[in-house]
Amino acid sequence: MEIQLLQQPDSAIAKVILEANEEIVAEAGAMIAMSPHINANTTLRQGKGGGLLGGLKRLLGGESLFLSVFRSLGRSGEIYLAPDFMGDLLVYEMQGEELIAQSTAYVASASTVDVDLGFPGFKRAILSGESLFWLTISGHGPVLLSSFGAIYSVPVNGEYIVDTGHIVAFERSLNFDIGKPPGSTWLSTFLGGEGFVCRFKGRGTVYCQTHNPGAFGRLVGSQLPPR
Amino acid sequence: MNEIAFDLEHQPSYASLILNLQANQTVLVEAGAMAAMDSHIQMKSKMRGGLMKSLGRMLGGESLFLSEFTAVGKPGQLYLSPGVPGDVQHYYLKGDGRCLIVQSGGFVACSPTVEIDTQFQGLRGFFSGESLFMVRASGKGDIWFSSYGAILEIPIEQEYVVDTGYIVAFEDTLDYSVEMIAGLSFRGLMTGIFGGEGLVCRFRGQGKLWIQSREIFSLINFLNPFRPTRSSD
Repeated sequence: MEIQLLQQPDSAIAKVILEANEEIVAEAGAMIAMSPHINANTTLRQGKGGGLLGGLKRLLGGESLFLSVFRSLGRSGEIYLAPDFMGDLLVYEMQGEELIAQSTAYVASASTVDVDLGFPGFKRAILSGESLFWLTISGHGPVLLSSFGAIYSVPVNGEYIVDTGHIVAFERSLNFDIGKPPGSTWLSTFLGGEGFVCRFKGRGTVYCQTHNPGAFGRLVGSQLPPR
Repeated sequence: MNEIAFDLEHQPSYASLILNLQANQTVLVEAGAMAAMDSHIQMKSKMRGGLMKSLGRMLGGESLFLSEFTAVGKPGQLYLSPGVPGDVQHYYLKGDGRCLIVQSGGFVACSPTVEIDTQFQGLRGFFSGESLFMVRASGKGDIWFSSYGAILEIPIEQEYVVDTGYIVAFEDTLDYSVEMIAGLSFRGLMTGIFGGEGLVCRFRGQGKLWIQSREIFSLINFLNPFRPTRSSD
């Protein structure tokens, strides 16, 4: 599998070249165009919180319910994949360690990569109203992630704080804790409009996005006619 | 090749089309796309081909009027910006009878010798659900079209499959059929999302196809849950 990223950074699109009978798993709706002999199947990924209930949880989390599996039958083929938002793409190579990603950032992964729904350590982030949902990614092979705006990586060695809405993904080698920004009280956090923050400890990389989809959605959505 | 000299700036996400008209050269522009121009350029609103054709344009999702810009007496420069931020692509119609099919909202500008036909019914299959209307450009001259997101050119040798929502334009040397791929559909699962019915266009033959890297429906789907809820009183 070869992944080429085109039109970076703000209209990024991935051209994936599959070998004969190779598979790629993608978020339903991510396929833009493909070779005619690529076979598509939509599946419900059974993760830790899988099954119907897991599907419902994902729906509430703002993630589409289904994943599509694309398989290049008999010979090599190509497929174009793109995320929903204007922004960049990142290829992360899994090497047996775990990666935690925001559900909206997930675009696609090799079939040798496991994508589990949810991450128990993040229950409080869901309560915070950010409507975030998290994926635990493991295994070997490439993962394609997207961002709203540009992506930047922060190599953490020690301690670092990132607003939960700006996290794309982070390596599981990091310890983390969700809470309010340091020095603030819960009341000032609420009034100040700053969301929950994630405090990372240890060594590892955090991938961040320059813009917060939730903040954008609240700003524009509040100006639209009521539902 | 091209008849009207042009430049494209700020591609692919905020493309702006700059036309450098020779003295007395004319260009037809989608109404409202003009952003800036030299002061001696004259603008005339025009209903090409009479009222009925213009009505056809309106029904095609295209504005009723095209504006005609002419650099009177001396060369002049014209800046054009599509309504939605994204990319702009140029195409030259050779006048050999071949046509270009363009997503109707994507038309930006063309030479006055290019005929824009909104009445053609070739893509009936597109009309299910996605409300995608196409126009057919024929004749000889330049045409520019735009999209939300970046435009990518795909040279088709034999066959290719494209999600109908991402088609920007294609050469009519390609045969096409709209079909449903069940393996792509996630309809009927109460996801409440636009699109996702697995509707694709299958192109066959040899020719160029242009696709866009983003779709505006995705943004609308994202924003929908953020809309205020109607109060009960």
